[in-house]
Parts: sequence; C-alpha cells; structure tokens
Amino acid sequence: MKKTVDVSLPIGPVHPVFKEPCRIKCETSGEYVINAELELGYVKKGIERIMVGRPWQEVMFLAERVCGICSVIHNYVCIEGMERINGVAVPDRAAYLRLVVNELDRIQSHLLANYSYCYTIEHETLAMYLLNLRETAMDALEYITGARVTCSYIIPGGVRFDLSPEKEQKLRTMIDHIDSELTRFVRMFEGGSLIALRSKDVGTFSREEAIESHAVGPTARASNLDNDCRLFHPTYQKLGFESVLLDEGDNYARIMLRFLEVFQSTQLIRSALDSMEKGTIRGGGEIGGGFAEWAGEAPRGELTYTIDTDEHGRVKKIGIRTPSIMNIEACVHYMIKGVHSSADVTSTYISSDPCIACNER
Amino acid sequence: MTALQDVKNAVRSRSIHVCYVNVGSCNGCDIEILACLAPRYDIEQYGIYVHNNPREADILLVTGGFSPQWEDKLKEVWDKIPEPKAAIAIGNCPISGCVFNREGTYLDPPVRKHIPIAAEVPGCPPRPTEILEAVLSLAPVVFKDYEERGE
Amino acid sequence: MASSIIWYLREFIRGEWITKFFTVKTAPLVTPPHFRGFPTLTDRECTHCLACMMICPAPDAIEVLETDGVWKPVVYPGHCIRCGLCVEACPEDVLTAGELLSVQKEDQTSFESAFHLTIDPVLCSRCGNCAVACPINKEIDPYLGGTGTAFSDEVIMRITNGEMRIINPEKCTGCKTCEETCSNHAIRVARVVVGVQEGWK
Repeated sequence: MKKTVDVSLPIGPVHPVFKEPCRIKCETSGEYVINAELELGYVKKGIERIMVGRPWQEVMFLAERVCGICSVIHNYVCIEGMERINGVAVPDRAAYLRLVVNELDRIQSHLLANYSYCYTIEHETLAMYLLNLRETAMDALEYITGARVTCSYIIPGGVRFDLSPEKEQKLRTMIDHIDSELTRFVRMFEGGSLIALRSKDVGTFSREEAIESHAVGPTARASNLDNDCRLFHPTYQKLGFESVLLDEGDNYARIMLRFLEVFQSTQLIRSALDSMEKGTIRGGGEIGGGFAEWAGEAPRGELTYTIDTDEHGRVKKIGIRTPSIMNIEACVHYMIKGVHSSADVTSTYISSDPCIACNER
Repeated sequence: MTALQDVKNAVRSRSIHVCYVNVGSCNGCDIEILACLAPRYDIEQYGIYVHNNPREADILLVTGGFSPQWEDKLKEVWDKIPEPKAAIAIGNCPISGCVFNREGTYLDPPVRKHIPIAAEVPGCPPRPTEILEAVLSLAPVVFKDYEERGE
Repeated sequence: MASSIIWYLREFIRGEWITKFFTVKTAPLVTPPHFRGFPTLTDRECTHCLACMMICPAPDAIEVLETDGVWKPVVYPGHCIRCGLCVEACPEDVLTAGELLSVQKEDQTSFESAFHLTIDPVLCSRCGNCAVACPINKEIDPYLGGTGTAFSDEVIMRITNGEMRIINPEKCTGCKTCEETCSNHAIRVARVVVGVQEGWK
C-alpha cells in the first residue's frame, strides 16, 4: 500500500545509533514530523516453532536467547510458568537467589538503555561513565553465575549454584560501589541544561495515550500508569515492593525513571541478601503435562509466557508476548508524531528503549 | 615499491574503521561488542574506531544467523564498502546457527555462503577479551600486502 | 548555562579524577578463572555412557569418539553454547569448565535423567525399522530379524503378532536413533531431566 507524500525520511536498518535493524519512515513537512511508519522483520528466527516437541533443558536455552539484553527474565518467566503446570515447589533460599540475579540483570539493562540515550544526544562523557558502571554489574553476574550474558542460572525446582559467604561479601561491596557512583551521575544529568533542552517536553506521551496504546514498563510508568508485574509476585511482596511513578511523560521523565529503578533494585538486592537463610537450593520435581500462563516484569515491561505441555513435559504449543511489541507501537505512532524537529526522532525512539530482537523472536 | 607497501602495511594495521551489521542475532554478541568500547576494555586505544557507516569502513563485523530479509541486502552492504576490506563473524550464529539450527527455523546458516569471511570468533556470546584478542591478532595480518595478493 | 559548567568543573577538578587521569591503565586481557569457558578434558577415564551427549541442548556440539581404543568427548567450539550441563551431568567428572566441578562438589548437586518411549498407534506403520536401528537391541540380540522380529525377550522392543511392542523400556539410553529412523514420526523418546541436591529427599 504505497502512499505519496511530500518529503519522506527513512531512518534505515544500518544506522550509527541503532543497535538493531529496523526501519522508521517519517513523513515530514519542513522539520516538523507529521507521521511515522515502522518496518520490521529483519531478525525473525521462528523461535516459537523451534521450541515445539522439546523438553525444558532445551527450551530454557532457546528462551534465553530470544533477547540477549534481558535474558535472565526470559529464563525466569519460562521456568516459573512450567513450574506452575503441576505445582513444583521452590525452596526459600532459591527464590531469593533468583530475585538477586534478576535485579542485577535489571540494573545492567537500565544502564545500557540510558547509555544509549546519552550517546544519541552526543553526550559522550556521561555515556561512557554509565557504560563503565555497567561493567561492575556484569562482573557481579559473572561472579555469581559464571557467565556475563545468557547466564542460564534458573532451573525447575531451584537454581544451579549456591552463594558462598565470601561471594556474598564481594557482592555487597559491588552494590555499594554502584550506588555511590550513580548518585554522582544522576546529579550530572539533572543539572545539565543542554540535556534538559533536548529532553524536556520532547516526545510527550500523556496518560490517556498510554492507556489507548497499551504501553507497558517504564514507558508507561513515566506517564503515571501503574502496571508493574512485580506487585503480584510472591517473593517481591515478601520484601515489600512498591512501584516508582513519574508524571511528565517526556524523554527526561523516562530516563530519570530508569535511574530511580536502579536505586530501587540495589535496595531490593540488599534486603534479599539480609533475609536469606541457609538451606537447600534445588527442590527437585518433574514437569508434567498441562497448561499454564505466567507474567513477569522485564526491564522493558510485562512479559507473558503461555505454555502447553504433553505428559512428559515436552512443549506442545508456546506463545511469548514481549513488552517491546506494545512499546514500539506506542513510540512510533504516538510519541514521534508531535515531535518538533526530525533530529529528535532518533532520541525519542531510543528513550522508549526498544528491543527489536524481543519483538520479532 | 616495497617502501610504499611497508608504509601502507604499517598504517593499515594501526587504524581500522569498523562497521557492524546484525543479520538476525539475539543482541548478546552486539552488547559484548559495545562492552569493548567501554573504558574498561578500551578498543579505541588500539586505533580501532567503531562508527556505523559502510562507506567509511575497513572491516565489517557480522553477528547473527542469516534471516530471510537480509538475502539481498547483505550483499549490497558488502559491495558498498571500499577496498581493502574484510569481514569477521562474531559469535556462534554466523558459524553454525547456534541453538537455532533445528528444523522449522527461518535461518540459513552459515554466513560464509553469502559473503567471504576472513575470521571467526566462537562463543555464545564471546567475552570482550576474546573479541579483542581476535581483532588484535588479526589487525597486522588481514591487510598485509593487500595489493600484491590481488584480492 | 552557568550551572552546568559548574557541575562539570566540580566533576573534573576532584583529586580522585586527576590522579586517575595520569595513572590509569586499561584492564589486562585476561579471562577470570570463574568464567565458564569451553569444556576441557581432565585426566579421568571416559566410560562412553553418553550422558553428556544426551543432555546437550545445542545441535552437534559434543561427540564421544574413540581413537586407538580410548574414548574421549570432543567439544566443537563453533557450536557449543558454554552452558555447563555436560560438566554437571558426567558421572566420572571427565569434563571441566571454570569453577563448575568444585562448586558442584561443595553443593552436592546433580542431574538425574530418565527416558520414556511412546509410540503413536495411529501413525505407526509396523515396519519394524526402529527395532532394527536401536543399538541396544543389536547388542543384546545379534540375530535380530530384518523386519524387527527377535527371539530374545531381553530386547527393548520387537514386532510380535504384527504390532511393535515395547518390552523392556528401562534399558533405553535416550540416543533417539529410533526417532530419527522412523519415517512417520510415530515413535518418540522423552528425555526427562531433574535437578536434585543431596540432603533434600
């Protein structure tokens, strides 16, 4: 369906600020962007089709590799969904360890998203500071699980490895380091007036538009829409979790919300390490046949797995709904439309933290 | 003109411009390439500059197994890069398809069938130290005496 | 405008920043010992039980080959995803990666495998190819018939009275040769794995 417009600006698959290929076609009149369209399909692999007929020890690795940035949460939701099919129980220590690794992954994903935004605004000092701080979180992940990305730490019935007391001490010093350095960087971000010129009141997204376009995650919470999946997860509720909300709904609010969530994550890790007691880390338990549906909070929003297994635990049908499916729609069709200059298209797109690999699986 | 060739070899091994293209990966290898840019494993100190423009690049980094949309486009990106050029495959996906190489997939591994690959770095994903070791050991060799090899 | 210049000056005139500027070195290119690398061989003897091949999630990543009468597992780096399941599953500790073996000894964790055979009676054409292809059948009864019949009662499955009957399913080792041989996808092998820890049950 071709449409003839005055000026069409394609921002193409291979682009200096895009990490993943997608094409945004903007219709502009002068500098003002009137309309935008999205073209996807560059990384489709057919993962849900490959998973059919496979047991959990192969499905888990395929689920992890749907997206390399948020790989721990895919592992978490897939295994918890399979456990709920016939009620496999998890010991307490394993539940807290799962939470620690999940929050470490959230910290590194939020720091990567903010690095990406600062790089798009060409503020390379802050971008490189954030990327360097992210390395501390990756070191902590490597120390606990043995791998930086795609950790494969969570199995049905518990986790794979235990946390010895020396590792726990080292983890606490790393978390304190992240906390202290990040307060400095947030002050730099808040006080910069050139950053404010490019971020405040750019790409505004009101609460009604968020409800209409089904936005999830930090993109919606920055517009005062509360839909955090951690509010109904039992382990998070034991530690008293409350979601963070902001009001303005522009680029600045989305980036500040991610910084505030990193602080919340370090606090959650500390309270999980304090509440952990000695015990077993694997509870055994075979996965049976049946149907289950489970949702979790990925760094970008709500992630849902719908799993159907046969009597020996092999997958018959599986459906994955990732948060980027909703967020990219919200970004391109609502946020980019009112943007005043076509130079702001890329920074608005990056501030909503898209993950094309999650979108297309 | 061996003195001129020596000067060319020396310059080409110390200043390399890199462009990366993602032909269907999960992003794990892409963020390990970004981690090479971080001040911890600084890749710019060796003269390797990662921007993302094929017209100004010397080396193309390919990540991901080959998805169907890129069948006509990867050849065009490869043809846009001016001589001398080389391509490096990073991660398991361009070598063999990694875990996605089962029946019912849309991928078409290996990428070696579509464009000529000079080196491979295995791992899922490879650690930044492994990527750096591969690139640094490759830098003096890949463009050495390029004119005399007639490629 | 003035306030952001003051923030930058405050940032770059700190003593810590100035000392780091003149003495910084980038990290050396060393892989830490707790990183889970490609599995390497220890000196223990491999009994070719093939537990590593049965649990590996990546296609064609590990094979157990015999050279000069000695069996050894061989890992192909272009296919292996470095998950570490083969290191944990081996009962003789022939493979090692990072700190996995020492952590496994400390926590006393392991994986238990079981294999279940199912035949779909609608799709099965009763040709007997699966019984002929099964390597365990061949080991137990060398005089196995070409259409899947057998005299011995110790085989895993055989054709009797026109039907494929599974007699001793507990002897199955999960190699899936029957599943790959069947042209109708009627026989399927389920590899069920459970992660356990001693001191739990």
